[in-house]
Amino acid sequence: MERRFRCTACGKCCFGQIPLTLGEMLDHSGRFPLAMVWRAVPKGTRAYALTERLGTPTRIQKTRTVAVSIVPTAYLPPSMACPELTPEGQCGIHDGKPLRCRTMPFYPFRDASDQAELLRPRQGWLCDIGETAPVVYRDGTIVDSHDFDVERKALLAQSDAMRTYFDYVVRYMPWVLDNLPATIGNQEGGVVTSLSSFLTACKPVDTKAIAARQQLVMERFAAKTADIEGLEAYHRNFAGWAKEMAYLAS
Amino acid sequence: MRSRYSAFVLGKLDHVERTHAPEVRGDFNRAEAERTIGEVEWLGLEVRRAREDGDQGSVEFAIRFRRNDQDLSQYEAADFRRIDGQWYYAGGKTSASHPPVHVVKTGRNDPCHCGSGKKFKKCCGA
Repeated sequence: MERRFRCTACGKCCFGQIPLTLGEMLDHSGRFPLAMVWRAVPKGTRAYALTERLGTPTRIQKTRTVAVSIVPTAYLPPSMACPELTPEGQCGIHDGKPLRCRTMPFYPFRDASDQAELLRPRQGWLCDIGETAPVVYRDGTIVDSHDFDVERKALLAQSDAMRTYFDYVVRYMPWVLDNLPATIGNQEGGVVTSLSSFLTACKPVDTKAIAARQQLVMERFAAKTADIEGLEAYHRNFAGWAKEMAYLAS
Repeated sequence: MRSRYSAFVLGKLDHVERTHAPEVRGDFNRAEAERTIGEVEWLGLEVRRAREDGDQGSVEFAIRFRRNDQDLSQYEAADFRRIDGQWYYAGGKTSASHPPVHVVKTGRNDPCHCGSGKKFKKCCGA
């Protein structure tokens, strides 16, 4: 079975959260407001085995085994365009854009053999899947898997750091796990934890510099989301995180 | 422990930080605490249970506070350790709500829980 796909640069996937790798999160800390997004994948589902390798298996609600993925994320509301999307609808950082944007529409948090449904454009997206678009997926294999492989490799390389962070959160913020059941089967959802908790748990050497850049970004996004109906929770988070970053930068 | 709660209420986080035992001091998210004290109205501390055994201590407590117009509470079973005469916070188990209450079943021939001294089956269990 062959699947065709061509990006038409409609810019429709340049809205809302952008999953980043750990390295990218630090590289782009002067650009995106950052947070950690948690999701649970239940045992017995297709993505479980892979999520267990990338993340951490655990038990929630006493009897339910899940694998938890924690993704460093550019934490934008679904209605908000990427700050690098130009008025012409192009990517302003094309050569240095995140792996997640490069690999689209493929998604290395799922097995390579489990990508077919991601090639169907989501509602309102203008992806070309017609006769003239190139074949990108054949018999459960990605035709050119370079970007996919690079992103997958980065996710595997950061799994130890994510486990360190997982253990920290389980110990000091256990309610995060209580909120995970709601994320199951909900692609848009996810439990959000702060960058400050990640920096406290993992202590990257350049914490101070990252925090100084994030403080400005958070202040910018707090201003952008002020008094916008439906974005009150985002605004509160950005404003609060700006204060946390100000402390870490000082 | 009460001093740590008071320090939170007064915003004196240096005291909170220096009363962490060395092995958990690095885990204290001071940045978040700095933010929290500006957003929270503290409503009270309730100590449920405290034990002391030599230089080891444990305190189960609940704090109540108001944040974003919501009344919230947090429960913790905290461990403390005495080093050179000074008590330090050494970690604990936190949860957003109370831990499950264990119900002890009274046997029919046990003394009644109402304190009457009669057997349960002759008293409240009749």
